Amino acid sequence: MKVNRSAATAIFAGSAILALALTGCSAGGGGGQSSTSATLTVWVDANRVEEMQDIAAKFEDDKGIKVELVQKEYGDVMRNDFIQQVPAGEGPDVMVGGNDWLGQLVQNGVVAPLELGDTAANFSDVAIGAMTYDEVTYGLPVSLENIALLRNTALASSTPATWDELIAAGQAVVASGAAQYPVLVPSDPVDSDPYHLYPLQTSYGAPLFAFDADSGYDTSELLVGSEGGNAFAAKLVEWGAAGIINTSITGDIARDEFAAGKAPFMLSGPWNLPAFQEGGIDYAIEAIPQAGPDAPTPFVGVQGFFVSSQSKNAIAANEFVVNYLGSEEAQLALYEAGGRPPALNSAFEIASAENPDVGAFGEVGRTGVPMPSIPEMGAVWDNLGATQSALLNGTAGDPTEAWQAMTERLREVVGG
Amino acid sequence: MTTTELQSSSGTDRSRKRQRPIARAAAGAPSTWVVLIKIISLGVLDAVVIYAAFILALNEDWVLAAVALVAATLINWIYIRRGSLPAKYLIPGTVFLLIFQMYAIVYSGYVAFTNYGDGHIGSKEAAVEALINKSLTRVPDSPAYPMVVVEQFGQLSFLVTDPDGEALIGGEDRPLQPADADLEGDRAVAVEGYTTLDFAGVLAEQEQLAAMSVPLTDDPNDGALRTPDGSQAFVYSAKMQYDETADAFIDTATGKIYEDTGDGAFVAADGTQLMPGWKIDVGFENFVRAFTEESIRGPLIAVVLWTFVFAGFTVAATFAVGVFLALILNDWRLRFRRTFRVLVILPYAFPVFLSALIWSGMLNPQFGFINQVLFGGAQIPWLTDPILAKFSILMVSLWLGYPYMFLVATGALQSIPEELVEAAKVDGAGPWAVFRRIKLPLLMVSMAPLLIASFAFNFNNFNLIYMLTRGGPQDITTDMNVGATDILITLVYKVAFGETGGRDFGLASAFSIIIFVLVAVISVISFRRTKTLEELN
Amino acid sequence: MSVDTYPATLHTPEVNPRGEKSGRVPKGPSQRRRTARTLAAKYIVVILTSVIAVFPILYIVSASLNPNGSLAGSSGLFTKFSLENYINLFSNPAQPFAAWFMNTLLIGLVTAAGTVLLGGLAAYAFSRMRFSGRRLGLITILLVQMFPQLLAVVAIFLLMKGIGDIFPALGLNTHIGLIMVYLGGALGVNTYLMYGFFNTVPVSIDEAAKLDGAGHSRIFFTIILRLSAPVLAVVGLLSFIATINEFVIASVLLTAPEKKTLAVGLYQFIAQETSANWPVFAAGAVLAALPVVVLFFVLQKYIVSGLTAGSVK
Repeated sequence: MKVNRSAATAIFAGSAILALALTGCSAGGGGGQSSTSATLTVWVDANRVEEMQDIAAKFEDDKGIKVELVQKEYGDVMRNDFIQQVPAGEGPDVMVGGNDWLGQLVQNGVVAPLELGDTAANFSDVAIGAMTYDEVTYGLPVSLENIALLRNTALASSTPATWDELIAAGQAVVASGAAQYPVLVPSDPVDSDPYHLYPLQTSYGAPLFAFDADSGYDTSELLVGSEGGNAFAAKLVEWGAAGIINTSITGDIARDEFAAGKAPFMLSGPWNLPAFQEGGIDYAIEAIPQAGPDAPTPFVGVQGFFVSSQSKNAIAANEFVVNYLGSEEAQLALYEAGGRPPALNSAFEIASAENPDVGAFGEVGRTGVPMPSIPEMGAVWDNLGATQSALLNGTAGDPTEAWQAMTERLREVVGG
Repeated sequence: MTTTELQSSSGTDRSRKRQRPIARAAAGAPSTWVVLIKIISLGVLDAVVIYAAFILALNEDWVLAAVALVAATLINWIYIRRGSLPAKYLIPGTVFLLIFQMYAIVYSGYVAFTNYGDGHIGSKEAAVEALINKSLTRVPDSPAYPMVVVEQFGQLSFLVTDPDGEALIGGEDRPLQPADADLEGDRAVAVEGYTTLDFAGVLAEQEQLAAMSVPLTDDPNDGALRTPDGSQAFVYSAKMQYDETADAFIDTATGKIYEDTGDGAFVAADGTQLMPGWKIDVGFENFVRAFTEESIRGPLIAVVLWTFVFAGFTVAATFAVGVFLALILNDWRLRFRRTFRVLVILPYAFPVFLSALIWSGMLNPQFGFINQVLFGGAQIPWLTDPILAKFSILMVSLWLGYPYMFLVATGALQSIPEELVEAAKVDGAGPWAVFRRIKLPLLMVSMAPLLIASFAFNFNNFNLIYMLTRGGPQDITTDMNVGATDILITLVYKVAFGETGGRDFGLASAFSIIIFVLVAVISVISFRRTKTLEELN
Repeated sequence: MSVDTYPATLHTPEVNPRGEKSGRVPKGPSQRRRTARTLAAKYIVVILTSVIAVFPILYIVSASLNPNGSLAGSSGLFTKFSLENYINLFSNPAQPFAAWFMNTLLIGLVTAAGTVLLGGLAAYAFSRMRFSGRRLGLITILLVQMFPQLLAVVAIFLLMKGIGDIFPALGLNTHIGLIMVYLGGALGVNTYLMYGFFNTVPVSIDEAAKLDGAGHSRIFFTIILRLSAPVLAVVGLLSFIATINEFVIASVLLTAPEKKTLAVGLYQFIAQETSANWPVFAAGAVLAALPVVVLFFVLQKYIVSGLTAGSVK
């Protein structure tokens, strides 16, 4: 028992000293912590972090507030962490994000409304619209992205006026042996790709919801099940059977095949351009031809910066976002980061003068509508994708029935 | 746990202790370095706990502080006294298990009784604050007021210049009134008796300033000035008024009243809710919903059946392949065995989602390697035909999972004494009989629990299903949102995270608990059938 | 199909001197031919399995060598050969790949060692001691791991935030904190693996050591652990692999760029809006798999050393 008693003494003596040491450490640390409120924490994706450094340094010089750029995985990880951490008093002051997150962010009360003041007029309308939810603006738009029609100029000298003519022209090129596919539309065997198909869908007069430029989407008015939707569903079956839209052609494959010069046309976003340039393809970026009675409206995704509703640095965050990230200099720097058209009109003009591709995508984007940001969009995409792939694969049975069944499910999902 | 000594000698030990205390002390005394490690570890632990308890007590978190102290005292007591040998060996791992695993489980259990989820994430105060902020909107086409923040006797005011160039001053609940201000250009920058704050000064007060509303006039309906950045103010009007005494929001335009009806949100008479709401306890509501949810109950039988097939096949197949390979590669005559072993575990060395992506590419009907090369260009719909998709899932699952079983079996095989095998062969047993009667039973000793655990893991193997098929292909002719390869957990995910306007963690947790009970019952039953718990020596 | 003709020379001859004779004497020419056929069949099986195992991974390697390639596109394997992606990995100061690599190795090795130690201690208690609550304890550690942890990330985040408020060095954004979370899983399936193996080590060895005056701790550290080298190596490897591929918790806990693990850091390359940088990710994944391969290659010595067979006399 002697061993034990002396052991006990040693433990208590040792731990008393350690506990004191810990108290000392934390006293120092505590002092440091209270001053951290003068730091603005910004969550930013890996692509943009470098280009943000200059702006952050400038803000620091001008205002004496340190900007800490925290690299974070863009997408669900960033969004979910933000939603979970902000109510716990953690999380950043500012976060980069997509406009399609906005519904969920607002629903959870984790973003603060952002007053852009009179600078709002300097941004493109679709960008501001995308950052607005329930008529309140929450984010500073930075960049836009949308799809357009890419034409391989070596294989097709002009873009036909309608989608049917485009198919015919594409088939002619295939028949001549110069190409393998009349047109490439990125898809997926299980989910198809409702995002890439959306311009065609809207052209048939079957957009998802009623949309008004001022008040945004009205999800209670589901337009997808209209007569045009049935026509579109029938067309999908037809295109699928004819092999014009093939669900086996995934985004990767479409990109590789177009870059190899195997198709005269492709629906694509700006993200594929580097591969096409490397493949030595001469391309033109044009509006998507009309397929049905209406003009096609692609979805425009907008990325921007949001301010946390629990930020202890509301004014500094606001200042940084509106006056620094909203500046022409910053918008151009961020354009360099991803090559997407800037949301600020003056920056867009400079960027498109420098790079005609940016201008061309931006032009097509003007005809687009913001990506809906309702929290239920995930389920909407799932339903749309499953039905469209079944239609294209010819496993859906009667197209009208399938489309209407999907509409009913969508109605349940959005609660309209 | 009671005081027990080493099992092998517990009977004789006690009597020996009585007879030869000195010898016992010498034999049983731990070596010096063990004592040293023990003292240091306990010392560090105690220091950490005492410090933590101190901080917790400062924060008046009495319960946690007490729990920490009691737990630490218990641990000290166990390690300092003689005996409690099992406890001494079990405590280190158990402490981590309790803190990091049980906490997560308890938390899930707690969440199952709340409405935690999108729209109900934070506290009611935060929700009210967010709603007030959201309801304040800038009056359309109203002018911007250049401004500075001024301070007098610790009270902050806005010094603004109105569109007519007139200087006005006001503060919270103090409507604007004319001020005799110093101008800089046509902008008022200072006023006698007040100190103008520079940007650093503004930042120091930013929490207060961000919440400040300065009424334009005595009539609150004229709106109020607010500033987002301290240098400009805008006229805001509230679309919604919060009545604190009634605990309700009132729509200023329509007069519609939103009340707290106990559902974790402000709800109007017609059922419309204001978002965000807040987190409340809902009792067993999530469990009731879990059992009555039509989108789960409808396809339940088919999905549960497939879940069992998927988990059962995966375990059986990975085990069979893993053990088979381990046996083969245990043959010393095979050359390059080390290299082959590395090759066959390679699937395990890459992130699952990367492999799943590769596989979905290889299974592509038209361009995938499988169809193009192995099947000579046939367009077999591996992932879109309901039956083939199930088959593909099983094959990929086998590919992903067998290296684990292979590794474990390779290790476990070493515990089989060669003499036993030799003896059996001498008795004329063929290779199959040797495997069946000697190797397999001995392998099962250490591997049976792993098979149960593997079954449980695959029962909830959300990632594989979701990355390969997302549960599809879906039979779109039914109105059920369920696919051919959906297992229970992916179905739950769809229902709890997709269908009700955002992610419903409360419902998801209730489902987790139900699934857990199901899997646990299966496991305990199969556990009783194995001999793992018996004394084998 | 199986190990029918194990020559006795594999293990120490004095253990089973008769085995040698009985193994060799009756062999006629037909049996020798059969043995050769069995061996050939084994080669075929092993080579076939290796091909199936490795083939999908070639796509990853191929993509990592193609600067503009896609992961599962239509372009064939190895159409291009360029180290650009690998160079990219190391050339961006904002994405300190080398630091991630070292972090991952450190966290992986410490977690593996901790898992072996904590799990081994518990397995020893379960295997060698009889106490009330033993069966319950065994079942509990298995069941705990079965809980579908949809909410684990939220819970762990809140917990680590709380711990970090008291001990910043153990809380969010610390490697120690992350390792502690991983060690929460130390008692689990791995414990069973060791428990099963310990059970096959005869108690007579403990008894002998006890008579020689060894205490329980010495028996554990110097006898049981040494005799169980194969299973310790397996558990260590399993834990190492699980740790270096773990993404979800690491991503929530580690935010500073220089603190991240490979899994978290690499994920950023593909978590871009629509333009996932798969080639660079593939390059990173290939490099991340190297430690696993090396570790397994090294550990094989212990896994299949036949140490038990030699020492258990």
